[in-house]
Amino acid sequence: MKSVLNILLTHQPPEAVAAMVDRWKTCMPAESILLAYGGSRADFGAIAHPAKVFIDDPRLRTHDHQREHQSYGGVFRAVAEWMKDRDHSHVHFAEYDHLPLVSDLNQRQLALLHSERADVLGLHLRHVGDTNCAHYLYHAADPEFFPFWESLTCRSDPRVILSMLPTGSFWTREAFDTVAACPEPHPMYVEIFLPTAAHHLGFRIRDYGTQNRFARNVGDWFPHLDEARTAGAWSVHPVKGEWDRLPTPSPS
Amino acid sequence: MSLLASFARRLVIALARTVGSKIVDAETGRVLGRAFLIPWRGKIAVIGLDAEVKPLFLPQKRLTYWKQELGFAVHAPPDFPHEVRPQHPPDPPAP
Repeated sequence: MKSVLNILLTHQPPEAVAAMVDRWKTCMPAESILLAYGGSRADFGAIAHPAKVFIDDPRLRTHDHQREHQSYGGVFRAVAEWMKDRDHSHVHFAEYDHLPLVSDLNQRQLALLHSERADVLGLHLRHVGDTNCAHYLYHAADPEFFPFWESLTCRSDPRVILSMLPTGSFWTREAFDTVAACPEPHPMYVEIFLPTAAHHLGFRIRDYGTQNRFARNVGDWFPHLDEARTAGAWSVHPVKGEWDRLPTPSPS
Repeated sequence: MSLLASFARRLVIALARTVGSKIVDAETGRVLGRAFLIPWRGKIAVIGLDAEVKPLFLPQKRLTYWKQELGFAVHAPPDFPHEVRPQHPPDPPAP
């Protein structure tokens, strides 16, 4: 039996977190949800959901995420530590503004992972090496960037640099634990580091395909939830604003 | 950034995406967008392109010594196989 752990990364107040967990519970068992909390210690203590880890990593708490190379390394390490004595076979990672729309989301992810013979699924996965991608070029100016991948890779081409949205990513336990344990000796932006590390550590990473259209880095899906559901969305990102303003959950 | 600078940048980007050079994938012929291509101090500034492209010199059917063309292409979607890693941990980066 495959057991998926759903990580929800959030920094919001406890009331908003409770509303978010209530929503996610309509799509997956409550015991499959782990909160990774990047807010204040006081708010963390006030969160009622029992499965939670506090992320004490300044590299998560960036303001200009791209220029400061925001990292989810602390999140991955904390979750890997939490999972140590648990038997989850797969990990689904979502940010606080990601909204599930189907009750069998994890089953669909498992089926896609299986059909792609992949170790990781990512939204908007692409090869950005040697392109004009702004995040890639910003990293390419760092003299430590390419030597790091050359030292890490088991692939024939160390210049392959991948990018994806970290939210919605779906991992085998082995891929997640291996990337969580990967050294991050200098800051690298999460959208570049996670998929590129998985690739160079030998894991097969594939794109979500048709689900990409329901995930963007800006905007707000809130006014278009029914439209997205009708169009075949499994989940949407981002949903900005208050979780308690969302209509009563009715996942298909 | 001041409001004026922000407005000017948006205007330039909108112009580039409307009347800039058409950028075509040199390998597939697909139109990727429009952008201003401006030579500047031995480099080419690409302004306003809303696509991730890699530059490449294009193959020539006729041998010419005086002209070569620089074009653009996009990477194929990532489709790399799973590879078994060696059992030893990775070496740390050279200092």
